[in-house]
Amino acid sequence: MIGLITDSPADLPPRLAQRYQIEVIPAILIIEGKAYRDGLDITRQEFYTRLPGMKTSPTTATPSPLEFASRYRKLLQAGAEQVLGIFTAERLTAIPNIARQAALDFPGQVTVLESGSLSLGIGFQVLAAAEAREKNLTLQAILNAVQSTRQRLKVAAALDTMDYLRRSGRLPAAITRLGGLLHIRPVVELREGQILPLGAARATLSANRLLRQTLLDLGPLEKLAILHTHAEIRAKKFLSELKDAPGMPAHIEIVNVTTVIGTHVGPNGLGFAAITQR
Amino acid sequence: MPQTSFDGIALKELVEAGLTWLRTNQQTVNALNVFPVPDGDTGTNMLLTMQSAYAEIANLGHRNAGQMAAAIAQGALMGARGNSGVILSQLWRGFARGVHGHETIDAATLSRAFAEARDTAYKGVVRPVEGTILTVSKDIALAAAAAETQDPLEMLRIIVSAADKSVESTPEFLPILKQAGVVDSGGKGLFFILEGMLRHLDGLSLDAPLISVRPLSAMNLENALEDVEEGQDWEVVVDFRPKADFDLRPFYEQLETMGTSIQVGEGEGMYRMHIHVPLENRYKPIEYILGLGTITKVAIENLLAQMDEIQAETGSPSLELTNIEPGQIAVIAVSPGVGLSRIFASLGVAALVAGGQTMNPSTKDFLDAFDTLPTEKIIILPNNKNIILAANQAKEVSAKQVYVVPSKTIPQGLSALLHLDPAGDVEKVAGKMTRALDSVITGEITVATRSVEIDGVTVREGQVIGLLNGKLAVSAETIAETCLQLLEKAEAATYELITLFYGGDLNHAEANRLADQIRQAYPDQEIEVQEGGQPHYQFIIAIE
Repeated sequence: MIGLITDSPADLPPRLAQRYQIEVIPAILIIEGKAYRDGLDITRQEFYTRLPGMKTSPTTATPSPLEFASRYRKLLQAGAEQVLGIFTAERLTAIPNIARQAALDFPGQVTVLESGSLSLGIGFQVLAAAEAREKNLTLQAILNAVQSTRQRLKVAAALDTMDYLRRSGRLPAAITRLGGLLHIRPVVELREGQILPLGAARATLSANRLLRQTLLDLGPLEKLAILHTHAEIRAKKFLSELKDAPGMPAHIEIVNVTTVIGTHVGPNGLGFAAITQR
Repeated sequence: MPQTSFDGIALKELVEAGLTWLRTNQQTVNALNVFPVPDGDTGTNMLLTMQSAYAEIANLGHRNAGQMAAAIAQGALMGARGNSGVILSQLWRGFARGVHGHETIDAATLSRAFAEARDTAYKGVVRPVEGTILTVSKDIALAAAAAETQDPLEMLRIIVSAADKSVESTPEFLPILKQAGVVDSGGKGLFFILEGMLRHLDGLSLDAPLISVRPLSAMNLENALEDVEEGQDWEVVVDFRPKADFDLRPFYEQLETMGTSIQVGEGEGMYRMHIHVPLENRYKPIEYILGLGTITKVAIENLLAQMDEIQAETGSPSLELTNIEPGQIAVIAVSPGVGLSRIFASLGVAALVAGGQTMNPSTKDFLDAFDTLPTEKIIILPNNKNIILAANQAKEVSAKQVYVVPSKTIPQGLSALLHLDPAGDVEKVAGKMTRALDSVITGEITVATRSVEIDGVTVREGQVIGLLNGKLAVSAETIAETCLQLLEKAEAATYELITLFYGGDLNHAEANRLADQIRQAYPDQEIEVQEGGQPHYQFIIAIE
């Protein structure tokens, strides 16, 4: 039996985490000097309502190595022979590093992967591991399944503004060159932890079109999640316009992404995480 | 004394004569404008192209006609501005090809040269339109081929007559010309060049007739700025309705005692007088005209102060253009105003070429911009339909890998620019940018330069007009009214974002007042106001 653990930025829907018995470790959000555990101490609704009015930008922090160690221990004590952890891209956070440090106390028992992604981009990799585990595959076979999913993964987003990304310092020059005078809405891809420009738009409608085209260009999909930062109406509209497109999976998840991501991209963002068919 | 051939020196003289006669008739050609908007004046564009052609040969003493023609073609190519200028340069290129290797030009060679000229010009245009300068070039070539003469002079006479007839027939091919009640301006310009050559050979004068009254719309008072003479630095413009016994000759003679740069325009019984005078004479023309009729409007301005202002504007803070590494894609945008230049710069443009509706950049302007960029990969955004051809020509001439994304308006150029990926594959990026052109609707607000009825819209000179994607759409008495009508016609309520780029004649407060009116009418749309700084156009509007 392999124990699975991920972090809260994976946006794994709670029912799936429960069904597959996946341990989720919350990232930490610091708002005006106070620490909140992602998804536990502050709701998304509350967070996004407060976000535009916050005097200082919220920041994110990593759970402590002790927290990781206690979760590993919990899984091992519950009967897991091995623990597999899949976490947020290491280019974006220190989580995988801390997770690896904590794993040093469990030699040969804990494997740590950094996903190179965010939100369901991580979540889909974790689910691939869970599905492979159900087939009683070896750790190596599970790792292969995760790797295959990762190779077929595309995560993209249309942001309503560049302000939050710019403040976070995570915006590459290829994107910051845009704007300054005009209000620009960037459309970006997250690939192996790097934010890459896909294009930009002035109006949300054009941004949606660009995002939709990016998605349709992928071909038939195995899995799809529509991601948004407090923009459920926009996300539902986007989904309803997608339904009849060819190659869509039977079930499409709509996810209000974690505040830990929201703080860096701002509200009213729309995106997707997709796995193409083999 | 029938001649059988002429040499390079004679060709040079002919070009000079064509240039001079075109200059004399420049305003007449400019006035042949289908749309009543201030835009790239065909006469001016063709003249600048011919000037560049002549400058190339001014110091050449080749007797060899083929070599002379090649130099003319090269000069025309470099100086080509506007669509008609570019086609004119193509005609010269073909002409030079036709006389290549010929020491002198006889009638047969001349005929072949006109045929080559026609072929080259047609090939230079993606979708040739009849009823334009192209048609005239075709009719010329036909007439030359049919002419049964060994005398090139005689052939030129036949050609000029054919060109005249062809120009008059252009409205038959192009309904829009008929609607506007004009002939094709490019064709007319070509006619004047050829007629100037013939007049020179016939020993006729190439200067402007002393007394000329132009249609009011043909009075190009902007360009008058360039010829300010020492001591004549006050510009006086008087609009008046003369009494019945008004006589032009004594009127001109009186004005000549007062100042220089005299221009008189007439339209619907109204006259406009323009003159440059010294300080002490500035009220004289007004007093004089008071005795001739009823004055409706007077403007007195100090030209030197105006020029200082223009210089101050061009000397405004330098723009932060994007630095391009070798191997990256550099975008060159044509911008008509300081504000727009700043916006283009903020979106990653690597070089700017000044130009727009009233000033079309030349092929050489683009080539010079290429030279400043340390990369081989270049994308041009012409941002005006009359600049696309010159951009394409620069692409043909340059050894660099140049793509022209055919943006016809500023909003189109901005939309395309959003899809720039400097590190991408230049062909793919250019394709992506081109596909983005249609993602925005363009509105333009300006003042009608003449009265006309076109596309079912009746316009009176001086009215505010609105163009939708380049087509005349609405006319009204005020800017606000025109904007609102235009937005309604564009179905702006079904869109999301309306961006107003205000022109050089307006300030931020005025633009904001209008934006507030638009906000009231369109509460669900986002309204953004930006300084454009473009001349003549009060607003350029992007609807998306």
